[in-house]
Amino acid sequence: MIGFLHPWLLAGLAAAGIPIVLHLLERREPPTVVFPAVRYLIAATEQHQRRLRLQNWLLLLLRTLFIVLLVLAAAGPTVRAGHVAGHAPSAMVIIVDNSASSGAVVEGTPRLATLRSAAIRVLAQATPDDALWVITADGTPRRGDPRTLTTLVNQLTPSPRRLDLGTALATAGEVLAPENRPGEVVVVTDLQATAVTPAELEFPVLVIRPGQPPPRNVGIASLSLGNQPWPQDGGRAVVTLTGDSGTPVPVSVRVGERTGRQALGSVNGAVTLTLPGAPPGWWPVTAELDPDELRADDRRSGLVRIAPAARVRWDPAERYVAAAADVLERNRRISRGDEVTIGRLERGISIVEPPADVAQLGALNRALERRGVTWTYGTLVTGSETADSAVGPGGIRVFKRYVLEPSGSGRTGVVARVNRSPWLVRSSNVVLLGSRLDPSWTELPVSAAFMPFMDLLLNRIARGELAVVDAAPGDQVSLPDRVTEVRRNGEQWPAEGGAGFQPTEPGLYFLLAERDTVGALEVNVDPRESRLAPAPDEQVRKLWRARVVGPDAADSAVFASAARGDLRGPLLWAGLLLGLTEMGLASAWRRGS
Amino acid sequence: MEVARLGGLELVAEGVVEGFLAGLHRSPRRGFSVEFAEHRMYQPGDDLRYVDWKILGRNDRLYVKQYEEETNLRAVVVADVSRSMAWTGDAEVRLSKLAYAQRLIAALTLVLQRQRDATGLIAFDDAVRAMVPPRARISHWRQLLVTLGDLEAGHGTAAEPALRRVIDQLRRRGLVVFVSDLLFDRPLALKALRFLRHRGHQVIVLHVMDPGEVTLQGPAEARFEDPETRAAVVLRPKDWARPYRETVESVISAWRLACRRHGIAYHPVRTDTPFGTVLRQVAASHPT
Repeated sequence: MIGFLHPWLLAGLAAAGIPIVLHLLERREPPTVVFPAVRYLIAATEQHQRRLRLQNWLLLLLRTLFIVLLVLAAAGPTVRAGHVAGHAPSAMVIIVDNSASSGAVVEGTPRLATLRSAAIRVLAQATPDDALWVITADGTPRRGDPRTLTTLVNQLTPSPRRLDLGTALATAGEVLAPENRPGEVVVVTDLQATAVTPAELEFPVLVIRPGQPPPRNVGIASLSLGNQPWPQDGGRAVVTLTGDSGTPVPVSVRVGERTGRQALGSVNGAVTLTLPGAPPGWWPVTAELDPDELRADDRRSGLVRIAPAARVRWDPAERYVAAAADVLERNRRISRGDEVTIGRLERGISIVEPPADVAQLGALNRALERRGVTWTYGTLVTGSETADSAVGPGGIRVFKRYVLEPSGSGRTGVVARVNRSPWLVRSSNVVLLGSRLDPSWTELPVSAAFMPFMDLLLNRIARGELAVVDAAPGDQVSLPDRVTEVRRNGEQWPAEGGAGFQPTEPGLYFLLAERDTVGALEVNVDPRESRLAPAPDEQVRKLWRARVVGPDAADSAVFASAARGDLRGPLLWAGLLLGLTEMGLASAWRRGS
Repeated sequence: MEVARLGGLELVAEGVVEGFLAGLHRSPRRGFSVEFAEHRMYQPGDDLRYVDWKILGRNDRLYVKQYEEETNLRAVVVADVSRSMAWTGDAEVRLSKLAYAQRLIAALTLVLQRQRDATGLIAFDDAVRAMVPPRARISHWRQLLVTLGDLEAGHGTAAEPALRRVIDQLRRRGLVVFVSDLLFDRPLALKALRFLRHRGHQVIVLHVMDPGEVTLQGPAEARFEDPETRAAVVLRPKDWARPYRETVESVISAWRLACRRHGIAYHPVRTDTPFGTVLRQVAASHPT
């Protein structure tokens, strides 16, 4: 019922014993005074003892209570009370959901404008004694006084990012946890169902959500460009739509600035479009919808590499590699030639497997050194392990592998790892595999991932081209090892291979290794933002134990959830009254005596 | 008061009395007995009863004895010399109650002697410690002073036996001056005083109090101990000053009321009061 802003100060209640201790100390062995009229004293005490004892006890009680009240006031007591005029100094985190969906226009008004207005009304109820934070779609808590945060909220624009409300609530809980004052979390949001995730929170949660229903929306969920590189005669793009509109909408896709192709698509349906070819190189591909109430998801960008199929030389004796190469050749993903050799070290681009006979390992390592390759084969490791790299055969089990040991320093060229140890590396124009492509070494050759892996290995990894990575704004992306720079529309960011990169805006980011483009980052709005349907209030109440109100009730509902009256004022007044009473009584009695 | 502290009883008493007795006359009352005063030559007409035949036998000269008429007043001063009388609230400034009483009695007896009243003294604590029978000779006062000067504080207080001894000393009606701090059982003392009064004596009670006994003072908290009974009480003078003062006032009122009821004169006397003032108060209420 009663809470304290500084509960540790309650230790000061021990000071309440000071008057009693002083009283006891004073009573200890008083000096003896020879006084003949003791009989008069005894007579006086017999008559007045009871009254004086009562007076002394009353003064002692008043002094003790005075100290207790001062200590309690210092500890900042608050009491839960409804309809109090003010509120106790509180800690409050306001989550303002300016995620991409907040850009939707509802009845001519941007939804974010409604949310901003509600958030400002909440901030207007705050006092300088409150500790305030605002969390927006970027997930970063920002602390400030009411005026600063009002300015911040006023300047908010729809973010391309998605805001997971459960995650934001957890962040708010971490922010409030060290605070000793009453805490409260206010979530000002469109309450998109896709953003509502569970959260365990010790603090009361107030959800302020607009009352108007959201518009029906259609957005592009994905743009798939199939296996890359595309041949020069073109390729296929698959566009999937998401949202909550049942009406078919026209979808257009174009390569670069060339004339696009159009088709009708529906929500939760896929549209496949065959696109014309283009000269070799990296080409942006753009999918678009006609504008609707939410513009952020009407456009999606991708990147396609157009290049001739790799010309590959393989050993027909290697059963699994040969079988895969045959399939890829039949599908025109590769052709026979001497551009890339798989299985052994040759001139030109080579994909090297470790030898089956360990006796040949020394000769192979020496040959690699002569080629200037900065990796060699080390010791043989056996036992079931799992490939843990996102690029390449992620999740595939490996039974036997050689440890790949770097012989140089600096950038290592690691493409894939097993149990955090390099398993697939590229140095110079040589790619080293830690295991042979054989079921006794790894389950990869007999898994469904083998054909895509071989396509990726022969057409892109061997050529020094890495993956095209999909991400949403704000995602933390782990860059491939060889990347030295990220570039977008003239902006460039130096990068450390293997480090993280967090794109903030949607668009295409090129990954460069020195001067070569080795991959790309396609950053698009999270498709979950396209589904504007709100979560039912009842679900939110159960999930977060929250109160749900409309923007009009924002100012009255806020702080009421932690509506705690500040008892410091009344306690100090009571203390002052007690002090004055004690002084008055003591002085009156002293005068009287 | 400074003189009182420094000088002897005689010097102080005479100093006090010189200023007090100016103009006082001998007692106008005639008694039944006479006391020898001096000899003078016989003159014709003198009553032959007063011829001193012994001198005539030795010197063959006629002398007559001349007697001074004695008043009918015989006075006995009853002095309390119990241990409580030795107390003073501030030895630097004031006399103890006993020292003050000694000087006051010296002055009082000198006044009585100068009036040719026979004056005696009884000192008591828990028993009678000294007794000087009443005499009217001027030299008798010296003896009183010696006895007074030898008095020292004794032990407890038992006034009744001393007062009963007064009866033996005053066979005719006389004056009893009771000088005490009255720190004993009031009803018992009153009983004896009342008895004296019934025997026709005039009784004057001088209640000697140190100012420190009237106003309670001391450290923040103290254990107050009775020097006679060792009874003690622990209290804070600041808290108890008022009730104590009220109690003292009620005790004084009780003594005054009880004395008045029995025709006894009662005078509270603080030891910071000049002796002359006290004598004037006593004389004003009891002209001798």
